[in-house]
Amino acid sequence: MYLLREAVANVLTNRTTTVVAVATTAFTFACVGVFLLLYVNLKTLASSLEQDIQVMVYLQDDLTEQTRSEIDLQLKADRAVGSVTFVSKEQALADFQNQFPAESHLLQGLGQNPLPASFVVTLAVESRSSDAMRRWAHRTQSIPGVAQVQYNQEWVEALAGIVRYIEVAAIIVGLILSAASVTIIANTIRLALYSRREEIEILGLIGASATFIRVPYLLEGAALGFLGSTLSLAILKAGFELFRHEIRSASRFLGVDALLTFFPFQMCVVLVCVGLFLGCAGSFLSLLRFGEGRA
Amino acid sequence: MIQLFHVSKYYDRRLALADVTLEIEKGEFVLLMGASGAGKSTLLKLLIGAERPEEGQILVQGRSLSKLRPSEIPVLRRKIGVVLQDFRLLPKKTVFDNVSLPLLVQGASTVEIRRKVTDALRSVGLDHKKDLFPPGLSTGEQQRICIARAIVNGPIMLLADEPTGNLDPELTSEIIELFKSINARGTTIIVATHDPNVLAQVNRRVIILDQGKVVSREQVCP
Repeated sequence: MYLLREAVANVLTNRTTTVVAVATTAFTFACVGVFLLLYVNLKTLASSLEQDIQVMVYLQDDLTEQTRSEIDLQLKADRAVGSVTFVSKEQALADFQNQFPAESHLLQGLGQNPLPASFVVTLAVESRSSDAMRRWAHRTQSIPGVAQVQYNQEWVEALAGIVRYIEVAAIIVGLILSAASVTIIANTIRLALYSRREEIEILGLIGASATFIRVPYLLEGAALGFLGSTLSLAILKAGFELFRHEIRSASRFLGVDALLTFFPFQMCVVLVCVGLFLGCAGSFLSLLRFGEGRA
Repeated sequence: MIQLFHVSKYYDRRLALADVTLEIEKGEFVLLMGASGAGKSTLLKLLIGAERPEEGQILVQGRSLSKLRPSEIPVLRRKIGVVLQDFRLLPKKTVFDNVSLPLLVQGASTVEIRRKVTDALRSVGLDHKKDLFPPGLSTGEQQRICIARAIVNGPIMLLADEPTGNLDPELTSEIIELFKSINARGTTIIVATHDPNVLAQVNRRVIILDQGKVVSREQVCP
C-alpha cells in the first residue's frame, strides 16, 4: 500500500512531466498502431479476396468425353481442391451472352463457338496462398487435355507482396518507436529519481531493500506505459471511425467500409500489456543507470 | 560488538583511514574526534556498509562486513540508527511519516508503527508535533526528529556524524543529554564530532583520529 501511495505521489509530484510523457508515448504508440491497423485490414482483405478467387481450368476443344471425365476425377481427388464445377462450351457461351449482351453479336459473326469448356475450381482453404496457388496452377497445367489454367495471379501476388511489406514495415517501425517510448519513459523516471534522490539516499540509509526503493518507480513506469497505450488506442479508434465515416460517405467506395476492421478486443488487451511492459522496461533502465541500492 | 582489524580505506589513492584497529563494546558511548578530513565520517560509512575497506576486516556482532552480500546490507542498516549533521528529513512528509520510515521499510504493521513512532517522538519530547512538516520546526527540533527516526526500530547502535554541527551550545547540550538517555537504555552510541563542547559534556571514551590514523584511545570517564 505504501509503495502504491509513493508511486501515485511520484506521478502527482511531476504532473507536467507525466502528462508530456503520456502524450508522447501515446503518439508513438499510435504511429505503431497505424501500421498495425493497416496490416490487420490488408490481411483481412487479402484473406477475403483469396476466399473468392476461383481458378479456371480451360480444356482443349478436341477432348473426348472420357478424357474430360478423367480430368474431372483427377481434380476432385486433389486434396488442394475444394470444389469443381464443369462449364461446357455451350454454358460458357450462354454465360457470356448473359453478362455482355451488347457484345454477343461479336461471337455470332464467327460462326462457331470459340469459348472453351472449363472447370471452375475453388481451392481448399490451406491452398489459397499465392505460392500454393501458383504451384497448383503449374501442376494442373501439365495434365493432358488442359489448355490453360488461369486465375487472378497478379492481383493476388501483388496484394500478398503489399501485406508482406506492411508486415516488415510494421515490425521495423514498431521496434524503433517502441525503443523511443522506452526512452521517453526512462527519461521521465530519471527525472523523478533525480528529484527524489535525497529520499532514495535516506531510504538506503535506514535499510530499505533495493526492491522497496525500486517498486514505486517501476509502478510509475508501468502506469505511464498503460496510460500511453490506452490513450493511443483511443486516438486510433477515433481516427479509424472518422476514416470509415469518410469512406462511407464517398459513394465510389460503396461497401468498402464493411471490410474495414479495428483491432479485436484481445489484441487491444495485448497492446495495452505491451505498453505496460515497455513502461516497466523504461523504469528499469533508469533505475539501473541511477544505480540506487548500491549505496 | 564492533571490531576493526588493520582497516585501511583509500579514495583515489588518497588515504582516508590507515591501519585502524579498535574495539567498541556493547552499550559503550564513544566519541570519535578529529579535524575535518581525519577519517571520522569514513569510519562511520564503513560501519553501515556504505563503503568497503581496501584492507583489513570489520566485525559487527561477530559478522564480517566484507563478507556481506549487497542484499544483506539493508538488513545490517536496520540494526543501526544514523543521525546526520544535515538531518536528512523529508520536507514533504509529516514528522510522523518521517519517523515511521525505518518501520515501513521493514514491513511493520500500522498498529506497531503508531505505537513505536509515538514512543520515539515522546522520548525526544516532540510527540505533540507529529503532524507538522520539518520545515516548520526549529533546527534543534529537526535534529531531535532525526534522532527519533534513528531509534524508532530499537537499533543495537546509533551512529551520529557531527550531530551538533548546526546547533548552538544550548541545543548541543539537549542533544547530548538525549544521546546519554538513549545510551542508558543499552544502545551503543558512536558520535563523530570535532566540537569540544560535546567532549566536555560527554566525558566518555574518546578515539582521536588524525589523517586517518588513530592517535589516541583515551578513556575519559567510565
